Amino acid sequence: MKTPFLYFPPYLIVGVFFTLLLSFASAASETAAEAPSKNAPKTILQWKFDGAKEAGEWQGALGKGDGLQEGPLPDRYPGFEKGNKAGYFQDKDAFLVVKDRERGGSTDVRFALGDTFFFETWVKIKEIKPGETSYLIGKGRHGKLGVNLGEMNQNYAVRLKGANEGAEIGFLFTSIDPAQKGKRDWHRWTSKQRIPASGWHHLSVTYTFGKKDSLAVRIDNQITEGIWDMGGATDLGPVTDADDLVIGTGYQRSAAESFTGWLDNLTLSRGAPDPVELEKRYTFIPPPPPVNRQMIPTGQVLVQISEKGVPEANAWPEAPEVTESFTEDVFGLFDLPQKYISTGVRGDRANPCHIRASAVVTIPAGKHRILLRSRGASRLYIDGKQLLENPFPPNDPAGHHTLSMQDDYLDLGPGFRFAPPGNRDAWCEFTSTGGEQFVILETLIGGIMGKSKHRPELGETVVAISPEGSEHWSILSPGKRQVAYTDAGWNAYAQERRTRLDAMDTKARAEKRAEHAAYWNMRRKAAEEWLTKVTPISIPKLPEGYPAQNPIDHFIADRIVQAKEDAKLATSASVDYFKEVRPLLEAKCYGCHQGGKAKGKLRLDIHETALKGGKSDGPSVVPGDPDESSLILRISPDAGDDIMPPKEAPFTAEQIALLTRWIKEGAPWPQFDVKRFDMMPLAEDLVFLRRVFLDIVGVPPSEKEIAQFQNDPVESRRTLVIDRLLQDSRWADHWMDLWQDALAENPNILNPTLNNTGPFRWWLYESLLDNKPADLFVTELLRMEGSERFGGPAGFAIASQNDVPMAAKGMIVSGTFLGVEMKCARCHDSTTNVSKQRDLFELAAMMEQAAIQVPATSSVPLDRLQQTGREPLIEITLEPGANVEPAWPFPQFIKEEAASTLAENPQSSRDRLAALITAPENQRFAQVIVNRLWERLMGRGLVSTLEDWEKTEPSHPELLAWLGQELVRQKYDMKAIARLILNSHAYQRAVDPQLTETSPLFLATAPRRLTAEQIVDSLFSATGAPFDVEEFSLDIDSVRDLKNSITLGKPRRAWMLASTSNERDRPSLTLPRVQAVASLMETFGWRGARQDPVHHREINPNVLQSAILANGTVGVWLTGLSDRHSITQLALSVKSPEELVDRLFLRLLTRHPDAAEKESYTAYLENGFADRIVPESDRPKPAQAKHAPPLYVSWSNHLDGPANTLATDNQEAARLGDPPTTALREEWRKNLEDVIWAMLNATEWIYSS
Amino acid sequence: MKRRSFLHRTGLLAGGASISSLAQRASATPTVAHFPKGKAEHCIYLWLGGGMAQVDTFDPKAKGDSSANPKKPGSEYDSIETAVPGLRFTEHLSRSAKLAERLTVVRSVNHHVIDEHAFATNLVHTGRIISGSTTYPSLGSIISHARGAVNPTVPAYILIGYPNVSRGPGFLGSKAGFVYLTDTESGPAGFSRPKGVDSERAARRQALLVPLSNRVVTDSVPAQYLEAQREALRLAGPEFMHHFNLSQESADLRESYGGEFGQRCLLARRLVQAGVRFIEVSHNLNFINGTGWDTHNEGQKNQHILIHELDVALSALLSDLEQKKLLDKTLVVVATEFGRPAAYDGRGGRGHQGTAFSMVLAGGGLRHTGSYGVTDELSKNVVENPVSVPDFLATIFATLGIDPHMDIYDGARPVPITDMGKPIEKLFV
Repeated sequence: MKTPFLYFPPYLIVGVFFTLLLSFASAASETAAEAPSKNAPKTILQWKFDGAKEAGEWQGALGKGDGLQEGPLPDRYPGFEKGNKAGYFQDKDAFLVVKDRERGGSTDVRFALGDTFFFETWVKIKEIKPGETSYLIGKGRHGKLGVNLGEMNQNYAVRLKGANEGAEIGFLFTSIDPAQKGKRDWHRWTSKQRIPASGWHHLSVTYTFGKKDSLAVRIDNQITEGIWDMGGATDLGPVTDADDLVIGTGYQRSAAESFTGWLDNLTLSRGAPDPVELEKRYTFIPPPPPVNRQMIPTGQVLVQISEKGVPEANAWPEAPEVTESFTEDVFGLFDLPQKYISTGVRGDRANPCHIRASAVVTIPAGKHRILLRSRGASRLYIDGKQLLENPFPPNDPAGHHTLSMQDDYLDLGPGFRFAPPGNRDAWCEFTSTGGEQFVILETLIGGIMGKSKHRPELGETVVAISPEGSEHWSILSPGKRQVAYTDAGWNAYAQERRTRLDAMDTKARAEKRAEHAAYWNMRRKAAEEWLTKVTPISIPKLPEGYPAQNPIDHFIADRIVQAKEDAKLATSASVDYFKEVRPLLEAKCYGCHQGGKAKGKLRLDIHETALKGGKSDGPSVVPGDPDESSLILRISPDAGDDIMPPKEAPFTAEQIALLTRWIKEGAPWPQFDVKRFDMMPLAEDLVFLRRVFLDIVGVPPSEKEIAQFQNDPVESRRTLVIDRLLQDSRWADHWMDLWQDALAENPNILNPTLNNTGPFRWWLYESLLDNKPADLFVTELLRMEGSERFGGPAGFAIASQNDVPMAAKGMIVSGTFLGVEMKCARCHDSTTNVSKQRDLFELAAMMEQAAIQVPATSSVPLDRLQQTGREPLIEITLEPGANVEPAWPFPQFIKEEAASTLAENPQSSRDRLAALITAPENQRFAQVIVNRLWERLMGRGLVSTLEDWEKTEPSHPELLAWLGQELVRQKYDMKAIARLILNSHAYQRAVDPQLTETSPLFLATAPRRLTAEQIVDSLFSATGAPFDVEEFSLDIDSVRDLKNSITLGKPRRAWMLASTSNERDRPSLTLPRVQAVASLMETFGWRGARQDPVHHREINPNVLQSAILANGTVGVWLTGLSDRHSITQLALSVKSPEELVDRLFLRLLTRHPDAAEKESYTAYLENGFADRIVPESDRPKPAQAKHAPPLYVSWSNHLDGPANTLATDNQEAARLGDPPTTALREEWRKNLEDVIWAMLNATEWIYSS
Repeated sequence: MKRRSFLHRTGLLAGGASISSLAQRASATPTVAHFPKGKAEHCIYLWLGGGMAQVDTFDPKAKGDSSANPKKPGSEYDSIETAVPGLRFTEHLSRSAKLAERLTVVRSVNHHVIDEHAFATNLVHTGRIISGSTTYPSLGSIISHARGAVNPTVPAYILIGYPNVSRGPGFLGSKAGFVYLTDTESGPAGFSRPKGVDSERAARRQALLVPLSNRVVTDSVPAQYLEAQREALRLAGPEFMHHFNLSQESADLRESYGGEFGQRCLLARRLVQAGVRFIEVSHNLNFINGTGWDTHNEGQKNQHILIHELDVALSALLSDLEQKKLLDKTLVVVATEFGRPAAYDGRGGRGHQGTAFSMVLAGGGLRHTGSYGVTDELSKNVVENPVSVPDFLATIFATLGIDPHMDIYDGARPVPITDMGKPIEKLFV
């Protein structure tokens, strides 16, 4: 810093320079007797933190010259100049050591009896925990860390002691009593006033050793009171010796006694300045009012978000700088619009972040009650006067809160909405004189918590009013909108505002994307140019007699015709290739002779290569000539040592004879295992409708949606409904699982340690909502920007407890986007694929943007390779410890140079990687993407092994190539490809129920096992039973730091679930409702914990699936007719049992009942139908529950016995579900429940037809 | 179709579907390494989540004092003699002490993962550090996969505790998964009929299902699902569910097992009799001491009640199994994710320690000598016969006659069931 003129008045400056020169130049001893008079203080040490060399040395990790940060600045602090720097002291990582002169120091820093000690500094606290004592300055007491003079040798120390919202000042020294053989004693003084926890403040301490009443401590020019609370005041002098003077940390240099914050203009003098002078030291010009009435739109609440000017401290900022604003109707906040960065990915706001809500509100004259509620610290002002305040959030009690603490709650009358967990209340009576009043609510969200932060949450930040004469509360409103502050009022308000926030977010993302339009337009242009250069794939002519709705059907029909030709040969032979030959080759040969890395370069899984043979033996199969076919030679017993297979049981004589005969007959090798070539007709309308709903939005159609479809013209209704559904936001819900699985999204709500990622689900979801083009989607993913813990793609970069996270991610990226399987290459060269470990590490290094050293834990030790005594299957060609530089390992798809022209930032290897993967030249990417869409909609990929294109060949190479080009032509719009597929005859054909898998020629599809998500979402959506699970968090009152606990919100669809993080196995850390749904989903192949990517889920039937549907908790919720269940409403409204059965079938199964069903169910429901309804007057009144907030279990109290009991009660309540409705007679209701049970256990919920 | 083959095909229950393919593969990769082969048929795995303090239970040391200043590290309780001369447990394990000849406290288990519950729990269940390229199966799933259920009409693997990925089948898939129940009252999820559904109503419901099921084409995939459904509904009936009915046991016996944890152990014994292969029983009850086995701070104060509960249940289980001639074919394991140091924390509890801790093996036809492995004077380091987590799991596998080097397959990738674990040879006659 530069010397501020106010700080050193002109008449003193000369003197200061003089003494400085003197103290540096001379080592002459200065004793107390020689001390200047008290009006002429002599500076002995002065740190201004402007880079100049001063007495003492920076120490610690941060102390190497980078300890300078922004200091107090004009205009707020007029004594300083622009660009002024201060010293930053982070915990124990930075401090200053000044050696005693006797130990080589340049200045005398001892103070003896009679010396006047004067210390002053500007100080700004970053963090200090209540009760913690941190040293600003201390000479002596360093023990072995100093020069080993013991620890009772504190010449002097000025310390801060953390208190609520600020710090007390402490002055400490060790006295020595010559009269008592040099007896030493501690003397400690502690201030009553505090230094505020935020902003710059000035502190000075004056004390003349030997004069017990001489201590004067000033904070911001004001003398503060205090007491000598240890050892009392004394006339004794201090211990002086050769120990060090240390600034910024204490006698053990531990975090607990280290100062965290900034210091500037720290001065130590012998002799003090004039007291009058001292009262001018602190100058501060408050910022102009941040908001005034003129700024507020009439009848609205102006909400201002300040991310700048908010120090990282749990303290009110002096001058928060507004960075964003929006308006609200009333003083009710629960969430902010998201912050988006880059091309529109979720970012983190500054933490803490300051929010101010202001409005001009007409409050009638009278004495009203006012409530302030918030999660963060908050303050409420009316007409400039602070009315209410809520404190900063408490620290993590590590589970030791008690349930009984919740007995203490604020209840302000009937219907009063209790504070939800983790919110604090303050209220008062307020007398208004009537008319317009200027109301300001400010709150801080987030905040410091040790080395981490609180989650930045608003909770329920509300100002509510109960006017004089009323018992009721409403949210304070400046305009017409009135929101009753009751549970129902709030829920409706929050739901409506949620929709508005979502819309604001969507708009904000679009704006961010628009900022990057120039680059993406360039990409589009490059793609168009590429299209003009490549030979377009021509659409084959439609063979006669085949139906077609679009080009896809041409390709499909063309292939069928070809396959028919192939099959003719095969049918004339006596050996069945698919039944007899291939299984044999699969069992005996494929182990080594399949895929891209076949042994001896011999692939026996493909016709062409089998004919050609490998590198040694010549043709493997010579049709018609077994004697020339090396396959036969190598498997016959005559082969001796060369016999195949080398280790397993040899082929039997019968097997050899079979293969010989097969070759003799011409070795027919049809590509498809198809005997019949008849094609299924189009599915019926309702069957199609259910399928297309499940495939696009993940749930079946409602009765209304069915009617809408049926009201459309017959010839266009299918196209129309496809278009409607592609516009539906539920599309995003339905397609989540694909990406969560493939990208191994694996958040943990508690202490992430099991290869966890951040919850980048929210970015995925928004990408699907926005229908981001595939190339942009992949680019955003690979840039890994934005929020790590709250839903940005940065969360993808995380792999907790993984030795090379980027290698794990590289493996995911290569499989998902390029069809290159690299799982094995994670630790060694792949046995079945061509990828080497180095390839994966090069890819990883591109993602890391730096070279990666291969850790030993990412390799297989050689002794392990040999352990079993067999020839190792795996090879290690990358030494542990090797350094792998970023490089593009897939030149077969595109040359690395292409990145230089295509990447937005060619300097960034992540951008380069994104460009190389998504470049139009790289048709592998386009084809992999369309293949994924195809597989999902058609039940079978054109390449069936989605993530490993080495393993299988495409069934329809031309169609695949055409679709790949089409994706480029459609600007990488995945919905456009989906639309094509959905409109094809191939997609719309009826299912052949007897197929176990979809025909490779797509003549017909097999019944498709629905995903766990589809099953759960469909059941809830169709029945209208409430999907009511807990907030997905084990820290609902938000006491933990954001690294250890997050919330995944209140799930409304199945994809929003995740691992329940229940490794601790504690009943009090369970979410029984989430658990019930998760247990059901897991039986259907969903995984809560996704430690690795999955491209094909398990789909085989097992006993637990139907068991848990039939008898499990979710089954109870779905069948139990409560007042909240929408079939209850249906049952009350229908006119006849027939109508009920009809409508149930339509609603649940999207079809009409057949005769047997109709008869059976109508008969069952007929009895008692007429008087099924209990007259309202006869229904038992619900018991009036005590008006009290529901108790909750969370991390904060989970070790408490009663909390544990509550958790087990909650489990029981979850098992029981909602109480049954009283509107229906019990017996009849139970019958209806039985019918619903039967319908819900039909296979139609499990398999799509 | 015969029930046995059906159950194998529809999965979950037996896991035996894979036996034939395993056999094929095993023949392809002959193992050279020798392994001792035990003859146990069942395993009951008692899980003490939180981290049992070995110095306060099975590996007592000189007594400490948390009220001294400074605190003196050591065991919390006095130690007592056991049935094995020279072997001592703490005083709260008096009943188990009498049965010490039937068990082996492995005092030298150790690992070096960070002291975090989830991570260590995962390690002790799977024997492996997570890799990110696969999800490893738990030992319960591996054993079910390798050996199927003893009785093919019941599930191979039952969990009394909460589901989590560490207990799950990983890449083996749901066939090797568990049926779970969270307490002995509510019964197994999916098989206990909901309240208000008695067998008559269940029958009516199943009759209503018939017209819907009749639409399903025979020999189709949905028809396979229907078969599984019929089996599920059978299991919800008395033939299977009676195994969970503890009231069929005598009041005396029930009482001898103690509280809910004991009742779970008793249920485990019944499930052994029913032919279940592997039962994991969680001791996660009531938080009597506030923290369960995770005895930080004040959690230490009532730790003895937990130990006592363990002692009662464990000794009752071992005696009961022995009396029913099941002890030799049932391996009982007391397992935990890590131990705790002899030193006290600020409020007189204990932190975490992975470098040396105790787990217990009992019954299973092993040659028990009371203890194996030795730790130093404060049980901080292993000084004799260290046993890694893979070694410990290898010992369990070997006791059940499973080769610890056996490969299981993650797709095409062979994964040995232990990470080079070696069984404790001394335990095998």
